[in-house]
Amino acid sequence: MKVTSNDFTSTAKLSLMDDEMRRSVKQATTTAYQKRIDLMFEAGHAHGEALRQRAAQAKRRALQRLPDLLDQAEAKLTANGAHVLWASDGEKVNQLVLEIITRHAVTSVVKGKSMVSEEVGLNEALEDHGIEVIETDLGEYILQLADEPPSHIVIPVIHKSLTSIRDLFIEKLNMTPTDDGHEMAQFARRVLREKFLTADMGITGGNFIVSETGSICLVTNEGNGRMVTSLPRVHVALVGIEKMVATLEDFAILTQVLPRSATGQSMPVYTHMYNGPRKAGEPDGPDEMYVILVDNGRSAIFNSGYAQILTCIRCGACMNACPVYQATGGHAYGWVYPGPLGAVLTPLLVGLERARPLPHASSLCGACKQVCPVDIDLPQMLLDLRHDLYHRRAVDPILKWGLKLWAFGNRFPALFEFGGRIARLLTGDRSLKRLPGFLSRWTNYRDFPPFARESFRRQWRERRGD
Amino acid sequence: MRKNRDEIMSRLDAAHPPLGAIEGGLERLSVVPMEHLSPQQTVDRFKEQARLLSSSVYVPASADEAIRLVMDLLGDDNRVMSWAFEHIPLPGLEAAFRTNSIRVVSARDETIRVGITGADAALASTGSLVLLTGEGKPRLASLLPKVHMAIIRQDQILADLETWVATLHEQGLDAFQNTASAMIISGPSRTADIAMQLILGMHGPGELHIIILEPTHL
Amino acid sequence: MHDSPKGKRASLFVTCMVDMLYPETGWAVVDVLEHLGITVDFPPKQTCCGQPAFNAGDRTSAKQVAIQFLKAFKDAEAIVTPSGSCAAMVRHEYPILFADDPQWFDEAKRLAAITWEFTEYLVGGLGISDLQLRLPKRRSFAFHDACHGLRMLGLGAAARTLLKNMDNAVVEELEESDVCCGFGGVFSVKMADVSGAMLKRKINGIQECSAETIVTGDVSCMTHMNGGLARTPSPKRVRHIADVLADGLPDKPS
Repeated sequence: MKVTSNDFTSTAKLSLMDDEMRRSVKQATTTAYQKRIDLMFEAGHAHGEALRQRAAQAKRRALQRLPDLLDQAEAKLTANGAHVLWASDGEKVNQLVLEIITRHAVTSVVKGKSMVSEEVGLNEALEDHGIEVIETDLGEYILQLADEPPSHIVIPVIHKSLTSIRDLFIEKLNMTPTDDGHEMAQFARRVLREKFLTADMGITGGNFIVSETGSICLVTNEGNGRMVTSLPRVHVALVGIEKMVATLEDFAILTQVLPRSATGQSMPVYTHMYNGPRKAGEPDGPDEMYVILVDNGRSAIFNSGYAQILTCIRCGACMNACPVYQATGGHAYGWVYPGPLGAVLTPLLVGLERARPLPHASSLCGACKQVCPVDIDLPQMLLDLRHDLYHRRAVDPILKWGLKLWAFGNRFPALFEFGGRIARLLTGDRSLKRLPGFLSRWTNYRDFPPFARESFRRQWRERRGD
Repeated sequence: MRKNRDEIMSRLDAAHPPLGAIEGGLERLSVVPMEHLSPQQTVDRFKEQARLLSSSVYVPASADEAIRLVMDLLGDDNRVMSWAFEHIPLPGLEAAFRTNSIRVVSARDETIRVGITGADAALASTGSLVLLTGEGKPRLASLLPKVHMAIIRQDQILADLETWVATLHEQGLDAFQNTASAMIISGPSRTADIAMQLILGMHGPGELHIIILEPTHL
Repeated sequence: MHDSPKGKRASLFVTCMVDMLYPETGWAVVDVLEHLGITVDFPPKQTCCGQPAFNAGDRTSAKQVAIQFLKAFKDAEAIVTPSGSCAAMVRHEYPILFADDPQWFDEAKRLAAITWEFTEYLVGGLGISDLQLRLPKRRSFAFHDACHGLRMLGLGAAARTLLKNMDNAVVEELEESDVCCGFGGVFSVKMADVSGAMLKRKINGIQECSAETIVTGDVSCMTHMNGGLARTPSPKRVRHIADVLADGLPDKPS
């Protein structure tokens, strides 16, 4: 997917004016946020916190042993008849998929939701080669019809109202007009049914890989994951290398924490575990299963001080809790991953130079860290990224020199006090409605209070001596 | 392609442990803490949780009543998708189908409304069913039709997912390894993608009926 | 966590904004502490904790300013500050800032361990939840939880307790009290449009709240919120908790 993160401020400005989108986003995120709290802490606060810690442990320890676990998973999957392939980067992913398509004479593909496939632009790559690719998660299908990118990792059409979806179905699919959500869903079901039944290949992502059994685990609510892995002859799973967990116990905890944190469900409707293609004698299932282990920048993060972000289980709780995301929606972040997750992961995967505003797209309120089910310290990583940005000189000259001047003034108490006095002289005793230059950004939205006639320190000297 | 694997692995191996020292352990933790449940409590818990997910749950008083239930749910249908009878713990089902001229069909036929399966386990804490693939256990029976009917024995109901996973370890993971895939089903399919409205019956079945047979019936 | 500050002298870290913009809030803190019999001093070499530069990514400048803090408070036994975000900066970020600095690391850790936000100093540090205060007239308040204080220091309960225990103070709840007001330091100008949208949401909540006055523990957030409220017809304003508590003191010296 194309990276437009450097346009964050201008895209955000536009999306701030889109009341319908913001209403949809606000309603959905606050609902999900509340349901998450209810369910994560159903058995009490202490138990909820213990769950988070246990989930964090499962992911962190797996990350520590990643090479060994990848080895083990590959061996298990291969022994079970699956083909395990490795892709260093996006180009390689697309190349591998096209090779599989050619090898198995595939002409049509049905897809479950996969963020990795968005990262690498898989759909475009396949379509360029004349392969029909149909998204089957209802939200992703809607986006495909609208030719829009997702704006949330769990609820990809969070930004769309019912009427806009209705209009889309009428325009693109000739649906008989209806405002009934159930009817609209059934209509989409019928349209997609035909695609499922005739497709040659199903592509999915993967939520977890359990290394002790090689199981590729996928969670869905709709059943599209099952459809694309049961009907076509070939199943291809694209999984980031960081999705690894060591044991079935770890998986059991995570497959329950994930839906609680994401949508307030105690279990996903379907938790799939794929160990390999169909066995001899089984009545149905894919003849061939391919697992493509994807790096695409993850190993670089592994080696950096930001490795913690690789423990993310993609629940979306951080964006549900984030007041910045709730204000701007997901498209402003300019790539696959929005919200606090995106603010950290996007610069790390695509490069800081292509996502300069993102580490600053946060007031550092800490709500994301509070809700993260694997206890990732997102605010600290944002601060670290800001530091990195500063050192690459990717900073407003005005801000840079303003800070240096400010720092200078703050090193010397006399200068500090003098600066305050000057400010008072310049600004007088009324609130300021308009400040010049860069500072006008403050007064676009708020007054600034007058400086005190006498600073506290001066008053203290006068009243209390030294 | 070997090259890609080597590249990736060498990049990972080159690092020191990426997260420094990690505190805390991997002790067993139940996501849904439960006191020890008697068999009856287990069934009750399963019923309660399954119903919260909009599954329908029945505990017929006898095998005959169970068969009547199945026939009622089939209505006028005379074609179904189904697991092999040996995998469905309801004695007399095969005979009842013969008597009523109900055919088990294995085609990908959209006109088939009902799919009947057993289960390999059930989970009380979340009202879930565990279905493993294997001979005589078509995946499509619990997937394509709009109605999924699952017939299970009471003793198949385990406390929770953590317990099921523990049994896999006890049996030795080889058995699980030889299974192509496992599906944990918690309720009928659903979506909330259209303006957060909860809609049941998306791509998977829109109705899930679970019939629990007590040991005395079998 | 912290050693008890009982019996120790309290050194006031007044913060740059209170010093320059709201000196009366500094006196409110002093008056409340002295009302409790605490000896208060004001180390004159203090300036700022360095947070603005740190949040903007300039750790060099932040460190220079932080060193000034370490120097200013070198004789302190306990440091009290009317700012959750400044206290969080000293406690959480100074150890990071000085991690590779053998010269200053120990001092940074020492001061981090003795720095208290004002309300947690009273309730957690001194164990006093009821300051025996009384407002001259019945007033209603609602608390806005400033983010750093809430999430990094666990503040909120202490302030509400102190308010509730004040005679004639009625404490109500503000909807979305724990949702960020949109200040975020440099964020307020760097991402001004988003900050403005978040401010609007906060102001809507304030206008719908039945309390007359909103109370908070950080003047930075307060400045942003009052700056926005001034552009609405609403007479409501946000005040610092120290000022509200000081209103309930028996006599009003200074």
